[in-house]
Amino acid sequence: MVAEARRALWLYRRLLGAQVRATLQYEADFWIMSLSAVLVQAVGVVFLWAIFRSIPEINGWQFWEVVLIYALVVVAEGLSVLVAQGAWTLAVTVNFGQLDAMLLRPYPPVLQVLSSAVGMNGLGNLVLGTGLLIAAVRHVDVSWNVGRVALGLLLVVAAAGVKIGLNLLTNCAAFWLRSPYSMFAFSMHSFGELARFPVTIYGLGVRITLTVVLPYAFMSFFPAAAVLAHGPARWLGLLTPVVAIYCLWIGTTVFRYGLSRYESSGH
Amino acid sequence: MTFVTAGAVPLPADTRSRRIRAYRSMARMALKSLLAYQTSFLFGMLASAFGVLSMLYLWRSALAAGPRQGFDWPQMKAYLLVAFVVGSLVSSYTDYRMANRIQQGDVAMDLVRPVDYQWSRLAESVGFAVYEAGTAIVVVLAAAAIFGGMPPPDRDTVPLFILSALLVLPLRFGIVYLSGLLVFWTQNYVGVQAARIALITLFSGALVPLAFLPEWMRVIATYLPFVGMASTPALLYTGSLDGSDATTAVLVQAAWAVALWWLARLMWSAAARKLTVHGG
Repeated sequence: MVAEARRALWLYRRLLGAQVRATLQYEADFWIMSLSAVLVQAVGVVFLWAIFRSIPEINGWQFWEVVLIYALVVVAEGLSVLVAQGAWTLAVTVNFGQLDAMLLRPYPPVLQVLSSAVGMNGLGNLVLGTGLLIAAVRHVDVSWNVGRVALGLLLVVAAAGVKIGLNLLTNCAAFWLRSPYSMFAFSMHSFGELARFPVTIYGLGVRITLTVVLPYAFMSFFPAAAVLAHGPARWLGLLTPVVAIYCLWIGTTVFRYGLSRYESSGH
Repeated sequence: MTFVTAGAVPLPADTRSRRIRAYRSMARMALKSLLAYQTSFLFGMLASAFGVLSMLYLWRSALAAGPRQGFDWPQMKAYLLVAFVVGSLVSSYTDYRMANRIQQGDVAMDLVRPVDYQWSRLAESVGFAVYEAGTAIVVVLAAAAIFGGMPPPDRDTVPLFILSALLVLPLRFGIVYLSGLLVFWTQNYVGVQAARIALITLFSGALVPLAFLPEWMRVIATYLPFVGMASTPALLYTGSLDGSDATTAVLVQAAWAVALWWLARLMWSAAARKLTVHGG
């Protein structure tokens, strides 16, 4: 069991490494993707800053606390794009019947799909997100000790797990929609962007969806509330690792279910 | 999909009207192709709708304590929704298709067609825009229903508002087309597109009215073509821009639309040379 898991992880690293090497062949691409990712996220921060210049707090949340929430989304996005960008290739893979080859190899198809691409914009996200996270952590009113730092790190990793699981889940729509574009998953990803702000600003329906149906709020708002010990949401935030495991589980389960519907192309 | 078929009717000898007919049918075909594959487009529209939804919620909370920088909640609502509709124009396929054809080399086929490349892309963009604006207005109506209505446009500036909103089309086309042409040099489009969207969003005032930005950023914005792509029409709608300021703003929009058109011409001739080099 342990040996199997280690082999799976080793192969995953090898597969991803091959993608990294392939991507780095195009050096200009690497820079364009990284810099554009930084630019996109920086604009988001300027936007927050511009609002908070005129308004001291929104719904009881202050600037650096919101930056913390925002930074968690950027980091989770960066990690998911770096280690599991392959979810976004599922639409093309299914549409062109390229899953056939993956089904023949002695390695779980879901891991082959996830490791089949690497997004270099993830690096830009990760650099900017980490910078923001550090800046935010230094400004928020929290007393840090070893336990809280460990909790923070655990929650960041779990937040990425939530995003990866939900990316896989939403991209599984490819098995049903059969379009070569991942527009459904992309629209859900945009919905997930709502988690860049404190979810308390939203109406009840949106809040429930972000918490329960597609729990994007667990990649940012709830973990941030847990670290900041801010409001009743902090207790939910401690559940982030559980939610991450749930998201990854439901993603793989739906993938397996989708696989049973897969009938290659040309039939 | 951009094929122009002559049909049963012989083409008139006059090349000018022949061209116009060709562009008209390109626009029609673009609209039809969008309708034929509308699922993807509608999901894309849904994605932008989520964006405007989060902005509305955020501003509603932010302005709950009272107006800021001259914006109260109803005005901000109107501002964001108008910015959303004009921002939907030329937002779906124009650049994506261009980039794809440039990367694949299919653009060589476009070069041999007896129509102008830039006018052809504009014609297609107009075709797309009909559907883009239509669906964006539906989204706005739904959003207005959720958020307790949307104030009507300011009566004094209505004609200028309409003119300004129409000018967004050539303006956005100019920027989108220019960024599409960049693919001749970069080969990468996803990154270029993301960067373009980020710049437009910030400096057009689509997310946050320029009044909220610090002085130096506003100065930069005034020298860029983006202001006319959201801020100008949205401010005209809410009536925050009037008198000679309003007229000037619309003239600036028109000037940029023309300038971008000719800039794109220059860039295209450079790009076409670049392509020849590629082909050996």
